[in-house]
Amino acid sequence: MGSSIRWKTTLPLAILCACLLLFPKLVGSYFLHMAVSAILAMILASSWDILARTGQVSVGQAGLFGIGAYSSALLYQKYALPPVLGMLASALIATVVSIFLGYLTLRLRGIYFSITTIAFAEALTVIWLMTPDVTGGAMGVSTPPLFGGDREKAYYLILAILAAVVAVVRLIEQSRLNFAFTAIRENEDVANVLGINPTKYKVLAFMISAFFTGFAGGFYSHYNTYIIPYEVFNLGISIACLVMPIFGGLYTIAGPIIGTVLIKAIEEYLRVTFSYGHQIAYGLILVLVVLFMPEGLLGLWRGKILPLLRSRPGR
Amino acid sequence: MDWPSFFQSIANGILIAGLYASVTLGLTLVLGVMGIVNFAHGELVMLGAYNTFWLFTMLGIDPLLSIAITAPLLFLVGIFVYRFTIRPILKDPPLNQLLLTLGLSIFLQNLAMILWKTDSRSVITSYSGMSLHLGMVHVGATRLITFVISVVLTALLIVFLHKMRLGKAMRAVSENNTGSWLVGINVQKTYMLAFGVACALAAVSGSLVSTIMYTNPMVGFKLSLKAFCILILGGLGNISGALLGSLILGLTESFVGTYVPEGSGWAEGISFFLIIVVLIIKPTGLAGTRRE
Repeated sequence: MGSSIRWKTTLPLAILCACLLLFPKLVGSYFLHMAVSAILAMILASSWDILARTGQVSVGQAGLFGIGAYSSALLYQKYALPPVLGMLASALIATVVSIFLGYLTLRLRGIYFSITTIAFAEALTVIWLMTPDVTGGAMGVSTPPLFGGDREKAYYLILAILAAVVAVVRLIEQSRLNFAFTAIRENEDVANVLGINPTKYKVLAFMISAFFTGFAGGFYSHYNTYIIPYEVFNLGISIACLVMPIFGGLYTIAGPIIGTVLIKAIEEYLRVTFSYGHQIAYGLILVLVVLFMPEGLLGLWRGKILPLLRSRPGR
Repeated sequence: MDWPSFFQSIANGILIAGLYASVTLGLTLVLGVMGIVNFAHGELVMLGAYNTFWLFTMLGIDPLLSIAITAPLLFLVGIFVYRFTIRPILKDPPLNQLLLTLGLSIFLQNLAMILWKTDSRSVITSYSGMSLHLGMVHVGATRLITFVISVVLTALLIVFLHKMRLGKAMRAVSENNTGSWLVGINVQKTYMLAFGVACALAAVSGSLVSTIMYTNPMVGFKLSLKAFCILILGGLGNISGALLGSLILGLTESFVGTYVPEGSGWAEGISFFLIIVVLIIKPTGLAGTRRE
């Protein structure tokens, strides 16, 4: 009995992994590019969700993403640091920034933290535009194509990072951290009484979140070959980071990933339909999810659809 | 010391503070009465600005006269938004309210982009270029008019909240909604009307924005962030704090714009830097907070 249950979960996972590994051999350049940008978004969504597990809503992930993007691009431009090392540097720099920002702002509760994170990303845009000697200013920074433009290699690299994020989330879920994060989210005062230092754990969650968000930023700059402040620090990125996991289902491994796949598909359709404003779906989905399905798609599946499937006669 | 530019900076700061105050008033009303930080308030201002722009461009209606059309229209929009999105989540945790109003904000920004593209538009009236000379200081006619309207608006709001029955009900509900319910105030209806009034205020700010700034889909979000900065500077949910915060922000921006090298670029970021610095130094806002 035990082994049959194991098979039920491992077999589909094995098939999924095989499909993901074989994917570049099966599709053309356009779909490979779509897959890379979707996986990048999944990394952002899952990293946002790690911080959300402590009850903090960041609306400024674009700040960390942009810092990551610029770190590796500028390190390449000034010191010719190899791109993959640059991405690691991006991740570390974003982490260091998150420690400072986290200690200063994660004492704030709820909405104040959210507003500060928006201000953080917007302030970075202004700083970047106003210090062109250091940052390249509004003209942006360009880098040569990643792996000489080999999209397949880029795909495997970003897939490996997604695997790392999923592994880290799995580790968190199985460790005592999960209890601390959940306790803080449910009731910070009670968590404090239980001997959990809320700020410490929130900063830790923020650091993990920032590490992967920064790495994603570093990857983006090399993959895209060109970045400008308006794009990498854009509110749209911060919004995407939070809508994707909320849509899919918070505090889960699959939720942010499923949410990202669906939203990316909708966004791509709208991008073809409208020349501006394709993020309208993000706003609409956010409103609808808060109003009608607070546990996201996964909650809908578990609460409404699965019971329907299971209530078939003869079971 | 270059006195003319010093006084000019003060004048500019005070004048723009009037616009900021008008944007912050509606936000303050909703926050004070319902305890909700409405992220979509700026987008309502943006809708008011577009409304003014189109009434002016298509029908030639003066931007200030069009307030008489835009304000009632946005009042109704507000009632609609309240009924279908805000009311169901009144008892939800604050973060859900944040996410809902943020969703509305993103939705309206992108709707505006789809409908009207992303270019900045401005309303240029026959009196747009005029200016008055008061001693050493030049004051643009439209800036002065918007400032006067903001002052009148603030005064009307204060009179409304202190003298009129509905306004008193709003204040009562903001103090204690259960108590208000016990003495026979219809709390739901008061919330609805407060939200509607806030949207009508946003419409007025929108008309002012279209005449002295520019109208584009992102202008509302920018003003929302400035208004958050003002709330944090002045303390949440009270009108005098909002006025004080507006003055601080307006004057700081104006002085940075004049005296810092490349200041007009840096001035754009003042509100963000202030938000971060003030919250780090004093997590409840400079003036403390009345609620929670």
